[in-house]
Amino acid sequence: MAMLYVQTVQPTDLNKNTEWFMYPGVWTIYILILFFYWLLVLSVFGCSPGMAWTVVNLSHFAVTYYFFHWEKGTPFADDQGIYNNLTWWEQIDNGKQLTRNRKFMIVVPVVLYLIASHTTNYHHPMLFLNTLAVAILVIAKFPNMHKVRIFGING
Amino acid sequence: MVRLPYSTALTTLFSYGLLFAFGQLRDLFRKIIDWFKSSSEDLKGYAPICLGLEDFYTRRLYLRIQDCFCRPIASAPDAWFDVVERYSEDSNKTLHRTSKTSKCLNLGSYNYLGFAAADEYCTPRVIESLKKYSPSTCSIRVDGGTTDLHTELEELVARFVGKPAAVTFGMGYATNSSIIPALIGKGGLIISDSLNHNSIVNGARGSGAAIRVFQHNNVAHLEKVLREQIAEGQPRTHRPWKKIIIIVEGIYSMEGELCPLAEVIAVCKKYKAYIYLDEAHSIGAVGKSGKGVCELLGVDPADVDIMMGTFTKSFGSCGGYIAASKEVVQYLKDTCPAHVYATSMSPPAVQQVISSLKVILGEDGSSRGSQKLAQIRENSNFFRCELKKMGFEVLGDNDSPIMPIMLYNPAKIPAFSRECLKQNVAVVMVAFPASPLLLARTRICISAAHSREDLLKGLEVISKVGDLVGIKYFPTEPPKHETKVYKVE
Repeated sequence: MAMLYVQTVQPTDLNKNTEWFMYPGVWTIYILILFFYWLLVLSVFGCSPGMAWTVVNLSHFAVTYYFFHWEKGTPFADDQGIYNNLTWWEQIDNGKQLTRNRKFMIVVPVVLYLIASHTTNYHHPMLFLNTLAVAILVIAKFPNMHKVRIFGING
Repeated sequence: MVRLPYSTALTTLFSYGLLFAFGQLRDLFRKIIDWFKSSSEDLKGYAPICLGLEDFYTRRLYLRIQDCFCRPIASAPDAWFDVVERYSEDSNKTLHRTSKTSKCLNLGSYNYLGFAAADEYCTPRVIESLKKYSPSTCSIRVDGGTTDLHTELEELVARFVGKPAAVTFGMGYATNSSIIPALIGKGGLIISDSLNHNSIVNGARGSGAAIRVFQHNNVAHLEKVLREQIAEGQPRTHRPWKKIIIIVEGIYSMEGELCPLAEVIAVCKKYKAYIYLDEAHSIGAVGKSGKGVCELLGVDPADVDIMMGTFTKSFGSCGGYIAASKEVVQYLKDTCPAHVYATSMSPPAVQQVISSLKVILGEDGSSRGSQKLAQIRENSNFFRCELKKMGFEVLGDNDSPIMPIMLYNPAKIPAFSRECLKQNVAVVMVAFPASPLLLARTRICISAAHSREDLLKGLEVISKVGDLVGIKYFPTEPPKHETKVYKVE
């Protein structure tokens, strides 16, 4: 594994906040981080695997909603604020919808939801919380929701 | 095109994620603590200077390794120079200078031909011009700032580069960022290489023209973008573009790669676009007589519409120039704000460029110019070859004096820098935002002033530190016993 080389071409994305997502290994590390987080939750709380997946799903929802769909702008002042009205999700791929990266990011919460609800045997209240999490995340990532601010929140 | 081990890509992404998470946590605690502390009365009601998110990178990532950047130096940037030692008492939030300096090998200055320190031909003439013309003209070019030195320089630059006329400016960055808005405006199209320098990006943004980017050095992609844009026309109205300018650089300063100039010019001629060549790093450093990439790649300078360059790198001065046809240069002299409103170049700086150009052209009566050019070529090729043999990932083409060594992981940036400084080698780190987030590197700039012993010392230190830090991503070549002068570890 250590000697497996990848090649990368510098992507043509001018937005430095999102161009790091085009490099090889991003999808793998996303999945690996989720997996190791599940192991961490299991070892720290000592709960059943289903509860651990629910915890992973809900914290994934909280973290990704905040960073992808709530925080606007970029963490550096270089670009003089041209992206200050756009959340990270609206910035990736220069606003083009339904690219491979976006499709992957829509699939991940759905797969997490399926794993979490399967391992908890579809019991309440975990099922309700998991469903709420995945519904909000997936709806936020729809192409029609590009630059939409419901009730002007976060506008 | 960079090759990296897959595990390095994963660990780099993970490290940045970890740094980001810790930074956000600290910000969260700062917010909680500040909410309890009341703000002072005179600041109530004022908007904050920066939004909390905007300077996140500076506060939480850059300040941690601040001691690797902006190191003050206390002598001229020759092959060896004095670096001022600094210390910090609050983990790098503020740095204090001491009065101690340490003599370090200079592998970071753009001193390609060795003109940065005192030179036997240039320095006496510069001192003379300082006495005659004083350090500043105290005027803009249009008023009283054009001395006969300035006119002589413009003619000399035009002759050196091979164009009919040239105009010079006081600052290289300002040349790009104020010329591009003068050349093109709304309704025009700029197609620039994805790795162009920040000055070009700012100039393009300031011009108001539409900007499209093509993949670095990928002429096929350039043609594809050009065809697409010409067919579509301006956004929304679909009218034809007023003007199309393609901007490329001679040597890219963060990669050390040359641009495929002949193919780019062929594409430009086919689609009748203008080409703007930024030779900041290549003028005076590459080519048989130092005339830049045009000479190196065998391109006729008449084919390049606008040639831009700077005097900071090979000529040991400061400022920039634009060389083009007489009409374009006259137009720029009338409209460009850097000419009409900015102070003219300092006369000693102008004299330095004139003298160094004369040395390079051989007009000072000696062959030091061609010696320097041969020396830098030999030094660069030797250094690059040895680094590659050691297993480092070095970017850049042969003959280019810039060699970035890839680091990738964010923690290796301060590690490499500090370890090298401990062994008296001063290197320059390139982290985000000057380079892409995951492709952090250290950039070595070779100079004609480096002797073979200097290079060997540099190689030895870099090899040791590279082993310590773990950046030899490629397998090392075993040393050939009959030609090696020193042992590779």
